[in-house]
Amino acid sequence: MAELDLPAWTEPFTGEALPRLSRAVALRQIDRQWAWGGATGAGVTVAILDSGVEATHPAVGGRLVESVAVEIEGEDVKVVPTDPIDLYGHGTACAGIISGLAPEVEIVSVRVLGSDLRGKGTAFLAGLEWAIERGAQVMNMSLSSKSERLFPHFHELVDQAYFRHICLVSAVNNYPGLSYPSTFSSVFSVAAHSLPEPETFFYNPAPPVEWGAWGVDVPIAWKDGGRSIATGNSFAAPHIAGLAARVLGKHPGLSAFEVKAVLAAIANDPPDT
Amino acid sequence: MADQDLTAALRALRLAARRSAVARRLETDAEQALLQAIVESTATLFEAEAASIAIFERDPDRLEFRVAAGAQGAGALGMSVPPSRGIVGYVYSTGQPLALSDVASDPRFDRSAAERTGYVPRSIAAVPLVTADRTVGVLQVLDKRSSQTFSLRDMELLAVFASQAAAAIRASRIQRDTERLLRAVFADVEEDLDEEQLETLVSAATNGLDADADDPFWGLVDSIARLREAGEHELRLVAEILEVVARHSAARRRGR
Repeated sequence: MAELDLPAWTEPFTGEALPRLSRAVALRQIDRQWAWGGATGAGVTVAILDSGVEATHPAVGGRLVESVAVEIEGEDVKVVPTDPIDLYGHGTACAGIISGLAPEVEIVSVRVLGSDLRGKGTAFLAGLEWAIERGAQVMNMSLSSKSERLFPHFHELVDQAYFRHICLVSAVNNYPGLSYPSTFSSVFSVAAHSLPEPETFFYNPAPPVEWGAWGVDVPIAWKDGGRSIATGNSFAAPHIAGLAARVLGKHPGLSAFEVKAVLAAIANDPPDT
Repeated sequence: MADQDLTAALRALRLAARRSAVARRLETDAEQALLQAIVESTATLFEAEAASIAIFERDPDRLEFRVAAGAQGAGALGMSVPPSRGIVGYVYSTGQPLALSDVASDPRFDRSAAERTGYVPRSIAAVPLVTADRTVGVLQVLDKRSSQTFSLRDMELLAVFASQAAAAIRASRIQRDTERLLRAVFADVEEDLDEEQLETLVSAATNGLDADADDPFWGLVDSIARLREAGEHELRLVAEILEVVARHSAARRRGR
């Protein structure tokens, strides 16, 4: 039989390459001890695309290693180093939740809010692109865009992130219609549950919203060293980001889908079952 | 352009402007009334100290509180806050609903804005007003009396109210754009017009329409606005009466 002229993308599944394929581990063998027992998030970088992170807030635990902000002047979009401050308080809240779950992560703050409102979506895209280039294993995003114009750009960046084994974690908004990037399949889309337990999370096998994490009456860090009690999907997302960072700290190099598989395996059983 | 053409164009545009002024008058009242009804029902349903809606406006970028209800609502009316600050600003900028409580115990919680309203809340819930492709404003509720915090169900309910408000705002924006349309039409009809001439023409077409509030015509417009709630039978009756009056006045003009 003549040798088949196979296209290049079949290569990993043929001949000598095939034995190199491996599975992380059979799903049923995974428990929380295996997944993150003893893990602190050490060695993992988490980028927070939000309103900035307050470096000195006690809840951040001194884990902030870099702060940048997106600046837009006319057509010119730049990502520049910036002071480690938070314009609203939300980025600091996310950083506090993440470092609470994974106290040894390194946090990079990418401020995409608070500059020119006329370029909100553009700033978000530029921040995401910068963070992918910089390198981080996990990214937490509390915002989304409904702009059809930006769809292809988000699509490209989200794929880029996926192929670089970056876990993109995004809060879903509660409105009908698509919003990007939380509706892309490779993204960890998160909504809130109301059980007051930071390690309790649910996997939803019927997406688009795949994950449920604590997002009701969550004690959070806020602007200027403050604290508050908060409710919203955007406080659920950093719980999943923190737990993903734990898994990656213990098992470096897992791809986003492998992290999803591990989290799905150790997710809480739904109550009353 | 010949003077005659310009006069005809002006007459047509006056008619268009008059129609839009009528529509605007009907819609503005309807929008304001609807938004007011929304904040009032929100305040009642949540047993809240205040409920209000802020709409995004440009130049300068700001969120302007248009309607408010509840015992502590009035202070916010007419206030503007920058979208780059505060909880309302964050919700507007991200499109993410959120609720915070214990905010007063946070020493730096945007107190300056809160204090200008004469009321510093303990808890706040804010949801974006979202139309098809953008966020146009924010609905906020302060201090639900029955509980110190807002539940997920509360947030869902608020989102329903917010979507009603967003629909009302979208409808009235269409009316507001009419004047911009007029400018574009003028610029198209006569390419050589400079900015000042354009301004003169647009105001020539629109001036005087809203100015004389005592014009009996506006009384009629308001009556017609109220008739929206009338039943089919009444509407038919009104149409017949108007038809008779119109025929009568046409006959008088012809001198019969």
